[in-house]
Amino acid sequence: MNRLTGITANPLLIALVLIAALLFLGDALSPGFASGSQILRLLIVAALLGIVAAGQNLVILGGREGIDLSVGGVVSLSAIVAGNVMNGMDGGIPLAILACVATGALFGLFNGLGVTLLRIPPLVMTLGMLGVLQGLLVVIRQGIPSGRAAPALSEFVTRPFLFGLPGIIWLWIGVGLLMAFILHRTVFGQRVYAIGSNERAAFMAGVPVRRMRIALFMLSGVFAAIAGLCLLGYSGSSFANVGEQYMLPSIIAVVFGGTPLSGGKGGYTGTMAGAVLLVVLQSILTTINIDESGRQMVFGATLLVLMLFYGRGRGLRA
Amino acid sequence: MTKLKLSGVSKAYGATLALRRGDLELDSGEVHVLIGANGSGKSTLCKIVAGSVRPDAGEVLLDGRAVTVSGPRAAQALGIGIFYQELSLADHRSVAENICLPDLPRQNGLFIDRTALRAEAERYIALFETVAGAALQADTIVGDLRADQRQLVEIMKALATEAPILIFDEPTSALDRAQVDRFFEILRDLKSKGRSIVFISHRMDEIFAIGDRVTVIRDGETVGTTTISETSPDAVIHMMVGEQETLATPQAAPPIHAPSTDIALKVEGLTGAGFHEVSFAVGRGEILGLGGLHGQGQSAILKALFGAVAPRSGEVKLAGERLRIDSPRSAIAQGLAYVSGDRGRDGVISGRPILENVTPIHALRNRLLLARPGRLAEKALPALKALNTKFAGLSHSIGSLSGGNQQKIVIARWLIDKPDILLLDDPTKGIDLSAKADLFALIRELAAEGLAIVLYSSEDAELLNNADRILVFNGGSVSRELSGAERTRYNLYQAAYEAA
Repeated sequence: MNRLTGITANPLLIALVLIAALLFLGDALSPGFASGSQILRLLIVAALLGIVAAGQNLVILGGREGIDLSVGGVVSLSAIVAGNVMNGMDGGIPLAILACVATGALFGLFNGLGVTLLRIPPLVMTLGMLGVLQGLLVVIRQGIPSGRAAPALSEFVTRPFLFGLPGIIWLWIGVGLLMAFILHRTVFGQRVYAIGSNERAAFMAGVPVRRMRIALFMLSGVFAAIAGLCLLGYSGSSFANVGEQYMLPSIIAVVFGGTPLSGGKGGYTGTMAGAVLLVVLQSILTTINIDESGRQMVFGATLLVLMLFYGRGRGLRA
Repeated sequence: MTKLKLSGVSKAYGATLALRRGDLELDSGEVHVLIGANGSGKSTLCKIVAGSVRPDAGEVLLDGRAVTVSGPRAAQALGIGIFYQELSLADHRSVAENICLPDLPRQNGLFIDRTALRAEAERYIALFETVAGAALQADTIVGDLRADQRQLVEIMKALATEAPILIFDEPTSALDRAQVDRFFEILRDLKSKGRSIVFISHRMDEIFAIGDRVTVIRDGETVGTTTISETSPDAVIHMMVGEQETLATPQAAPPIHAPSTDIALKVEGLTGAGFHEVSFAVGRGEILGLGGLHGQGQSAILKALFGAVAPRSGEVKLAGERLRIDSPRSAIAQGLAYVSGDRGRDGVISGRPILENVTPIHALRNRLLLARPGRLAEKALPALKALNTKFAGLSHSIGSLSGGNQQKIVIARWLIDKPDILLLDDPTKGIDLSAKADLFALIRELAAEGLAIVLYSSEDAELLNNADRILVFNGGSVSRELSGAERTRYNLYQAAYEAA
């Protein structure tokens, strides 16, 4: 087992090597796959996934089986809320941002309260919340048009903004810097690692464990909501369950990035690389005409294979 | 007739010699008591007989023949049954299944024979019918039972092995008077049938009520066996103390007669899980020792004072003000500090850098938002230096250090912003001698600076050498207070072993 875990010592490097390899492979299968404009498009898609994965990363780092399965539902709901609030008008963007953040924070709060006060395991709690969100989406969409993206939002996501990169890429870079700052230069970040690696010791050192955990779920909701807003800009209008595709990949990106599901170690830089890797992989699968169901199977299998290398729970014999 | 004989068995765990030399002769039809202070090796001796620990040296003779007890199954086959101090019950299964677990009745060699299981279990339940309480039935789930009932089930489980040799390692700690009396009746009955029983208890009255002979074990060595009817509790305690009596000259500062204004912490009638009606006061500059046998409430009360578990009733006053402590967080804010001996569970934030392990209390007490490594290092280094901590760099993982140095890191946490009260819960468990010396030097220094210190230690010598006063705990409450010249090993043992 030591040999297996040895190769996972630097997840970031592995992810970068795999990304390069997949780009070469894609270009060989379909010339133009690795062209500049194509890579830019992949990065935009990766940014959307990466922003969702930032929240997922925080929840998983916090340990105690932390996981947020409701992110997909929040992304979908947020896209609909944003679309309806702005309804194609630039003037509505500030209010839409506010509404999205509030929506994400609210559902994150529910998740956090369920996990801490009611002591429902995160897996069950967030899966239940996903069910609630999906039901809510069906109710909302009955007869009501789901709204359109404001032009400025679409431009932000798809048009070059600075140095040829669209605003969303800059946003993602900003999220990356913010995450690095939070995790490594704030007391909050140290406490995230502390509760993830030894919750009892953290409690005895005065860390408000419950409040921390609620905050992590709320941040996850907020990040998912921001991604939902951007997704609306990317696709122009929202349709049912646009966010569904984010649940599994957001978890895989985190694990690929070197954060084990048991929490307490890892960081966001690796997760960013993981997000890019998954998007490139998905794109290759599309290029070679593997349909959605096939892609889902590949993703599921990827997670299982990853678990073999990273983040498995400790065995009976440590 | 000698049924079982141990000669010269020894066992070391790593560098720790748990049992230096164990000699024991067990006759048929006798109750043989084993007695000794904390960590003297009683449980290790029992585990060797029961096969859960293999001796490094020595011989085990059963009916005169040398045998190797290679595991619990082998012990069962040889006719040795054991009651484990830390109960070995399956909480989610029924009483009947637990009682019969070592040898479940089968049908066709594959399926459990439910009828036989029930009948079998009910025979043993009936033994305690009058004292066990209505809830203890064959079908009851063990997890739903009270602590004393669970202990009775563990006793029944040992009895159900019907083994010629039965070992009871502290079987009566949770039982009430009537239950103990009934249990002793059963033991006398077994004895009359020629069964051999090893009995460990810390209650002197029980030992003299049920024992035929007593073997005293001290510092991993069996020091002698006498017949109960020819000895006295005092003589037994003298045997346990041995030469060490003169060895323990308290090196503590002269006892402090703290005027009432100098009382730092006052505890009145505190009651909770594991302790009841405990009252004491600690003065500034005083080291108050909590002594007695393991698990008599010392640890539980320190955890309650620190807010990790809620007490049921009672009052805690800090410098005259009533304290409201509902979590370690609020305790820390009000000037309390707590160091656990179980550093892996309560102290070390594993896998994180040394710096992060030293600074959480500083960050909390100063309400820091940013973690600036340079600033924090400035704070951390003097604290680490005060304890002579050896480490390569603040960014290294705490896991790279030895146990003693890990514990120093955990203690250093409390030295950046000094607390008023320092609660030490067996802080030297499993750390090396030089680390212990550094630690106690520091504790005395902190007391001189005016901190009030409450120290629980499972090592009697540590208490005798470092505490200004010692409260001896027995059965969850303070049975005696030793101060000044009374702080001797003899007095400590006597208070610890007298009937609660």
